[in-house]
Order: sequence, then C-alpha cells, then structure tokens
Amino acid sequence: MAEADDAPAIVVEDLHEIFRIYKERPPGLKERLYRFRRADFTEFHALNGVSLTIRHGESVGLVGHNGSGKSTLLKCMARILPADRGTVTLGGRVATLLELGAGFQPDLSGRENVYLNGSILGLTRREIAASFDSIVDFAGVRDFIDTPVRNYSSGMYVRLGFAIAVHVDPDILLVDEVLSVGDAGFQEKSLARMRSFSERGKTVVLVSHALEAVESLCDRVVVLEHGQVIFDGPTEQALTSYRRRLAGGASEPAAVEAVETDPDGDGRARVADAVLTVPGHDPAGPVPSGAKARLDVDVRAVDDLVGRGGLTVGMVLRRPDLPSAVYETRTSWRVTYVAPPPPGESLRASFEFELNVLTGTYLIDVLLGNAETDVVHDVRRDAAKIVVRAEDHDAGIAPLGVRITLDNPEGVWPPESEPPPMSEGGPRFHPARPRTGHEQRQPQG
Amino acid sequence: MVATPERLGDLWVSRELLRNLVGKELKVRYKGSALGFLWSLITPLLMTAIFTVVFATFLRIELGDGNFATFFLSGYLVWQFFSNSVNSSVGAIVANGPLIRKVYFPREVLPLSLVLSQGVHFLLALVATSPLIIYYRGFHPELVPAVLIGLVLLTAFTAGVSMIFAAANVGFRDLQELTQVLFLGWFYATPIIYALFFVEDNAPQFLPLIRANPMTWFVELFRRMLYGTPAREGLNPPPAWPPLESWLVCGAWAVGALAVGYWLFNRLAVTFAKEV
Repeated sequence: MAEADDAPAIVVEDLHEIFRIYKERPPGLKERLYRFRRADFTEFHALNGVSLTIRHGESVGLVGHNGSGKSTLLKCMARILPADRGTVTLGGRVATLLELGAGFQPDLSGRENVYLNGSILGLTRREIAASFDSIVDFAGVRDFIDTPVRNYSSGMYVRLGFAIAVHVDPDILLVDEVLSVGDAGFQEKSLARMRSFSERGKTVVLVSHALEAVESLCDRVVVLEHGQVIFDGPTEQALTSYRRRLAGGASEPAAVEAVETDPDGDGRARVADAVLTVPGHDPAGPVPSGAKARLDVDVRAVDDLVGRGGLTVGMVLRRPDLPSAVYETRTSWRVTYVAPPPPGESLRASFEFELNVLTGTYLIDVLLGNAETDVVHDVRRDAAKIVVRAEDHDAGIAPLGVRITLDNPEGVWPPESEPPPMSEGGPRFHPARPRTGHEQRQPQG
Repeated sequence: MVATPERLGDLWVSRELLRNLVGKELKVRYKGSALGFLWSLITPLLMTAIFTVVFATFLRIELGDGNFATFFLSGYLVWQFFSNSVNSSVGAIVANGPLIRKVYFPREVLPLSLVLSQGVHFLLALVATSPLIIYYRGFHPELVPAVLIGLVLLTAFTAGVSMIFAAANVGFRDLQELTQVLFLGWFYATPIIYALFFVEDNAPQFLPLIRANPMTWFVELFRRMLYGTPAREGLNPPPAWPPLESWLVCGAWAVGALAVGYWLFNRLAVTFAKEV
C-alpha cells in the first residue's frame, strides 16, 4: 500500500501542549489588570513530549481516556493548535474532520452550504462541483438540497456534513470521533468510505472511543495516557493492552478520569438535579431487567460559559463490585452540541435507556464538563441507585438473549413433561419442582 | 513562528473560502428582511436626510453654492464602509470560536471576508447614489479610475484596522464594547459633517489632531472625487483628481495599516484556538 516514498506523512517530535485553566474568566480588561498582580490559573499539560512518525499509507488510531491528550494531539497535527514545544511536520495535503457541518449557515440552502463547508475543508469550487451529485446522494438529501439547512432534521444535517467531509480527498485525513453518527446503515457506508480511502494508500489518523471502528480501520494504534505515548504498535496488541488497562482498575471508573485538576469539577456549572424514573415501576424497589428508564439531569450554569465551547453531559452506569463502568455515554460522544445557558439559567438533558442488565444494584454517576477541553465542571456521584432483578436463569452483567437448543438422542424433558426415573436416564431433581429435603436424601437407584 | 511568504501562500490557497464567505455575508446579512440589499442604500440616505435637516436647515451651515446633502453623503459613505467593517470584524474571531477550534484555515479570512462584503455594499451604494451626486455636482466619468484606486487604498487600510481589532479582541473582550464608543468619537474627529475649513477658522488648535486621523485623509480623498472642494462662500469647485499629497498620505496609511494589521494578526492567530 505505502509507496516507496521515504518522506513520512506526519512527524511529531517532542510535542508539548499546555493549557492555562483560568480560575477567573472571561478575560476582559479588568481581569487582565487583575491578572498582572496575581496569576490565577493552573497549567494543564495536555501533551507531555509526544514523538511519533506516521508513514504515508498508514492508518493509525489514537486511543486513550478522556483527557489523555488524543484529541489535542490530533488538533496539533491539524495545525489548529500551535505547539508549545516541539514540532509537527506534515508531508502532504491535510483535511481534518473534527466536526461535521462546521460553519454551516442555517439560513443558506443545502447547496450553498455544500460549497461553503467544502471550501472551509479546503476543497476548490471545481472539486466540489465535480463531486456535488455524489455528495448529495451520499447524504440522501436530494429533495431538500435547495431548502435552508435550518429546516433539516439533525440526522440530515450530520449526514450532509459527513458527505462533504468524506469527499475531501487529501493525502492525510485526520478524523476525530465523527464516525459514530447516523443510523447503522449510514455508519456502515461511512466506514466503507474510510476504508476505501486508506486502501488507496492515503494516510488516516483516527481518534475514537469506538474501539471496533479503530479495530476495523487501523493497522496501528497509539495509546495515550496523561499526554504521553504509552503504547505504539499493531492494532491487536495495542487494543488488548488498552482494554486490559481499562478493565484493570488501575484508574477510576471513566466518569472521573478526566479530572486532572479538581476531582469534583471547577464548579462553573452544576448538576442541579438528577432524577431517575422507571415508568410503571417503583424506582426504590427492584425493577425487571430490560425496564425502560429515564434520567433527567438539570444543569445550571454558574459562570458565564457562553463562548467557551459546548457543554457535555454524561451518565455512567456502574455496579460497585465491578472495576469498570457497565455503561457510559456523553452528549459530546454523540456529536451533539449543547450550547451553555447564560449564568443562572438551566438546561435539561434527558437520557432514555433500557436497563439491559442482570440482577444487581447499580449506581448512576452524572458528569458535566466542557465538550472541547474535557475540563470537568461538576460530578454527581451516586446520583441515582437502582436495583435490577432479572430471571434466575442468567448470571453476570448483561443479558445476551441466549436461546438454548439441545440435540440429544437420549432425550430432553422440558419442565412441563414428566421425565423417566433416574435409572432410565432421568434427572435426579425435577428442574421445575422445588427441591425438598426428602428428594435430596433419596437413595440412588 | 511561520514565515510570512508561507502564510500568504495559505491565504492564496484559501481564496475560494474567502470568496464563499463574502458571498455568505452578502446573502445572510439581509435574509428575511423585506427590503434586503436596499438597506445598504437606505441607511446612508436616511442619515443624509437627518444630518441635512439638522445641519443645513436648523444650524445653517454655509457651503456657498454647494449642496450639504451631497457634501455629507460623499464623506459618510466612506465612513460607513470603514466603521461597519471594523465593527463587524471586532467580534469575528470570538463569534467563530467553534469553527476555529475545529478547522484549520487562515484565520484572517474571517475579518477579510467582512471587509470585502462591506466593500461590495460600499460600491453598490456609490452606484445607487451617483444620480444624486451627478445631478448636484456634475458628471465626471474621467474620475472613475481615481475612485477605484481610492477604493483599493481604503479597503487595504480598513482591512488592516479590522485585523488589529479582531485579533486584539480575543485577549481583551472589552474591546468589542469599547469600539462602539471609540467609533462615535472617531466619527466626530473626521470631517464628515463639517469641512476642514471650519476647524481652520474656528479651532485651529485642533487641526493637528484632525490631520493625524487617517480617516480625515480618506474622507477628503473621496470627497474631492465625488463632491469637489467645499468652500464657505461662493463657488465650490467641482469634483477633480485629488492632489498627489492626498494619494501619498492615503497610500502610506493603507500600506502601513495593512502591514501592521497582518503582522499582528498572524502573531496572535496561532493561539486563537486556545483562547476562544
């Protein structure tokens, strides 16, 4: 695949990236003057001396916890962020997909936005015109192409954004967490598109939480932790080691991993309330496995966060006896932009889900942070508790919907039929009848 | 950090983006308003009507055989272009924060697209008000090239100032509010509703200040080409080519502002993604 081209696609050398997290923001004149007297910020080292070389034709996955620096590394490669120390050298035309439909203008039609967004991504007018039909068909929005995108459904919006993005044909493609949008069919189409891209010998760097996507696309994976490369090698080995780390309990459950500065968040926005309801059931008592549940999270902005990027609201379902979370999601992982409300105002995020877990006591943590920087504003641990009681025929964490069929010439007796005695191959205990002391003491034969 | 030729190369590569952004500005600006584009003409005409009633009728400003409405308009159109450009650019970087954090492109296309779209409005307003100017001040097609050269210089100057304001606002968010007040003062420090000879006659001590204002030179340049030379009494000479001095001073301001603005903007632009 890779040509005998010796110049690498991307060379990162001893890259450091430092963010200043100000306690008092936004920066106005007053704060500037104030800051001259007292530096009231903490430094956050997002990248701590990262070095790696990516050759043309390689598909590399970047994985790591939130706050491990993987997105920052991608942004440095994309020239969005300047290196505070070290260098990034690129050998080819780069396109970056960090956000779908970046710069879409709601008042302009789909057609006009294709041209605008395409040129933001670095396409020329001629290139866009050449692939225009293909973009529209890929997104499936032909009937609405002359409608202002403000009237698009959110699905149409991201599909159009993605369709434009995948028609960018650079030498190096940098992708952050955008493969997880749309329905399954669209995702498959998108993955296929990425695969064909790398099969044509182009370089792909992918940041994703979806390890399956990384697995199916990448032949090399770089694992980051605390801004450093802790593993760099073939996908299989890297993911095995990464999954072991995740499960190994070396770190806390995912909800609190991002917290590097203040474990309880900086308090600039608060989780005001988090209520779990299980329709048709008393949330205090045991609910059956698979019950539909709803978690309503009220978020209140304390400081003025407008202009600091979107918020992310996350939920973690965990069982205290397990080292890793049972389930975790965040609005930002689903490419949902949550605009921060003005100070003092609230917003509500509702998570509807099915309790597809087996018997046990589960706790829900709620996390609130900045979608861009992974700065944590608030963590509400044990926001809700729910006891799930599943059928007795399963054990473990997740019901897998197992159906058992037996192919046994000696016979199978379902509970309602009467099996032969033990001497003729029958059971010692009837599976459907309660065991009594008498039966248990019954002598053999 | 990055060498200027390379940066200019980036900007050249992004010319289509710049063009699309200008197109977007022009399309989006009046979307949903019934009169649309006409607003870029109605505003200066309304301002002209108000200022003419107040200054020519109530206060009886004397301009000999001249006409106050065209006198005011010839300066106000220049000011409106400059002021609208800078005032829309000042918040451009902060307002486009999400885009800046997600996509790399030469950041200067944001203020530049606003300046160029205002330039289109300026040009349209010039064309649309030309019947008025021709009616009162005579038809001078030989001055069209001069107006176009003047427009290039004014655009360069405006672009430079806009980049300075846009970049500075990222570090000092108060600038956005301050700009409005600043521009109100700047408006009165520029000979738009008055001619320079009023200052010479009534308050010569202010003359150095007014002359140090670059917008004085641009307004005088365009006024010479559109209105002519204002005089208190008798004949107001008709439109003519501006003197060499005007061209040189405007040219120096244009080149200086553009160079300083571009340099400063690029110096600060590298950290925009962290700051917005």
